[in-house]
Amino acid sequence: MARRFRLIGILVGLALCVALLPVGAAGQGKPFSGATLTVFTQNPPYIAKPVQMFAPAWQERTGGKINLVTAPFGELYSKLMSSFALGTAAYDIALFASAWMGDFAGNRYLLDLTDRIKADAGLNWGDILPTYQQTVNWGGMLYALPIDGDVHTVFYRRDALENPKHKARFKTKYGYDLRPPATWKEYRDIAEFFNGWEWAGDGKKRFGVLEAFRRGGQAFWFFMSHAAAYVSVPGQKGNMFFDPQTMKPQINNPGFVKALEDWVALVKLGPPGMINFDSGDVRSQFAAGVAALALDWGDTGIVGGTDPKSIVRGKIGTIVLPGSPQVYDYKTGKWATLDKPNVAPYLAFGGWVCGVMVTTKNPSAAYDFCRTIAEPKNSYTAVTTAETGLNPFRASHFADTSGWKKFGFVEPDLGSYLGAIKASLAHPNAQLDLKLPGQARYLDALETQLARAAAGEITPKAALDRAAAEWEKITDGQGRDRMIALYRAWLGLPAK
Amino acid sequence: MRERPPIAQPFPGRQSAAPFLFPAVGILLLFTVFPFLFTLTLTLSRVSLVGGLRLDFGGLTNWIRLATDDRFWNSLSNTVLIVAAAVTLELLLGLALALLMNRPLRGGGIFRTVFILPMTLAPIAIGYTWRMMYHETIGPLNALLDMAGLPSVAWTSDRHLAIFSIILTDVWHWTPFMFIVLLAALQALPGEVIEAAQLDGTSGWQLFRHIIFPMLVPTAVAVTLLRTLEAFKIVDEIFIITGGGPGVSTESLTLHAYYTGFLSFDLAYGATIALALFLLVLASALALVRVTRRYQAAELWS
Repeated sequence: MARRFRLIGILVGLALCVALLPVGAAGQGKPFSGATLTVFTQNPPYIAKPVQMFAPAWQERTGGKINLVTAPFGELYSKLMSSFALGTAAYDIALFASAWMGDFAGNRYLLDLTDRIKADAGLNWGDILPTYQQTVNWGGMLYALPIDGDVHTVFYRRDALENPKHKARFKTKYGYDLRPPATWKEYRDIAEFFNGWEWAGDGKKRFGVLEAFRRGGQAFWFFMSHAAAYVSVPGQKGNMFFDPQTMKPQINNPGFVKALEDWVALVKLGPPGMINFDSGDVRSQFAAGVAALALDWGDTGIVGGTDPKSIVRGKIGTIVLPGSPQVYDYKTGKWATLDKPNVAPYLAFGGWVCGVMVTTKNPSAAYDFCRTIAEPKNSYTAVTTAETGLNPFRASHFADTSGWKKFGFVEPDLGSYLGAIKASLAHPNAQLDLKLPGQARYLDALETQLARAAAGEITPKAALDRAAAEWEKITDGQGRDRMIALYRAWLGLPAK
Repeated sequence: MRERPPIAQPFPGRQSAAPFLFPAVGILLLFTVFPFLFTLTLTLSRVSLVGGLRLDFGGLTNWIRLATDDRFWNSLSNTVLIVAAAVTLELLLGLALALLMNRPLRGGGIFRTVFILPMTLAPIAIGYTWRMMYHETIGPLNALLDMAGLPSVAWTSDRHLAIFSIILTDVWHWTPFMFIVLLAALQALPGEVIEAAQLDGTSGWQLFRHIIFPMLVPTAVAVTLLRTLEAFKIVDEIFIITGGGPGVSTESLTLHAYYTGFLSFDLAYGATIALALFLLVLASALALVRVTRRYQAAELWS
């Protein structure tokens, strides 16, 4: 009897070994078996979609598990800051705006990835455009991986600006040829010319321009894109936000006031209700053919140029942001007149990045998932797929046009689109977005006053004076000396 | 005859009651008292987020800032206007509808169901619905005006008009609440009193003024109080429809606190605005209750 039980025991043991063999084999060669990573980013589809696209293959390859948690854009910063400040370790990875790097890396909430990036040949770090390499750099260390490229450009309807009848009428009215705007004055003239009449030949009233004026709807970046050309003296640092000697705000200097006067005047040159538009409205309305001009990130080109419902597909031109014949030099306190318009492409927002939280228990797995999104092949797939919200940020993204054509782009839209983005990023006077601790507070303080000026509650000068006073308080609250040091380091200036 | 056993006392001594009270008190402390004390602490603090949350005593700095912040005073006046206008209109319309429906009416049940539908919707959904309704180029309101040969209206892009569009939305949302509660109160009134007054030849207005309305006052006060407390916290619909704009013309106190605390992450000042709102709501509630008591006392003596 005992022998029989022993035999049964041996057989059961063998059966269990056989049954469990595939599990052991499956676990072999999978470096992150059992690791669960919580990834936090924006609600789908935009930005969350790349996580959803690449997570299944990553899970299969590594044995790890991805748990995606999302929130609306307006709540990303606060949820991340709450998690960091309270030390809840709620997330392992976050896909966030590079503009927040000052708060996140500056407050030591992110893992330093410098060594991992340097050791990662497959990532092909050198293929990432230098501008975007900069966006993840804080104090000489790399705290995230770029996964997106963001720069503002101007989109125009070629069928409107190249129409011979419109060209003749425009020349009669303004005394110069109708062409894609080279200066902000030309941009305003074109917007005015096309505003409020049936110029598309379909019997519908069309408008001049589309921009985002809504507070909390990215208005800060739209205004800054106008201001950059008026205040960015080529080769001089500290033009855009603060005097690097004192942290005195620049935003109420005559260059910014001129830009705000221009910007406020545009409210009446777009569709009714444009004062409440966010960037999403700009994209959908441009694709619907509502206006001749639009200023936005590359997404307007993608929606207009690839969406099957777009009525402007095959009719879109893209150009670098217009310039200004004069530039205000904050050092001399005078306007300087240049031989040709001063152009200063603005890297608004700076792109989305993938960072690893310092509290993660699986740093290697977390880095591996970030680099999966950022590596050359997958990132090309992401930037040429609808609704990922990601735009080109590697040199290779511009070199191969096959994916873009498969995406739905047609020539000459595609050449114009990629050419304008590439030229903006390579421009020697391209301006980076603000990246300091308290960035969100600076942004909200300015955006509130921009909204008041746009609504006609106060004058542009008064609005910017108020914003400058708020900025001074924020800087004092953060510690002026500390902010001077951080700002100078960000500009690449030596410490005082 | 068998003696009945003595009825057990639920809490013969204080000690035995404690275990039963502890969960409720614990929850109250955890979710009400502690957050309130933490908010109060924040208002007297300077907050640093370097390496984690750190609070340093900041005295009355945040309260002084509040007193001199024109955006706070603007959002306060916007909130008071929205509360006063919306709650008054909701009460009047709700009462009118309740009086209308408090009589035999063919299809009355269908009307009642239709009237209360807006109240059942989420504020976010209402915000998006009305954002589309107010859309200046593709919205149905301007389309109707256009069909009638009238000019379009800048419902949400005119800074003087936008706040009235917000009030209109709130009235649409919450009038059903007033209606349903007042209708229930009307149907619960003692019929014999009203019949006696009618037999005495009391006119319709006199009946309402001297019989129905005084009996409705306690219910009307209760719903007005509830709606006032709720209306002071208005945020969802404004956030979706205008984002507080144009400019800051529709920014409410709650929205201002949200932007400050959760967009700028200025926690201490955001908490100060929130606490100021709490004090305002408390003062309003006490004032409303006091006025009502005086009214009822005056009615008793008249």
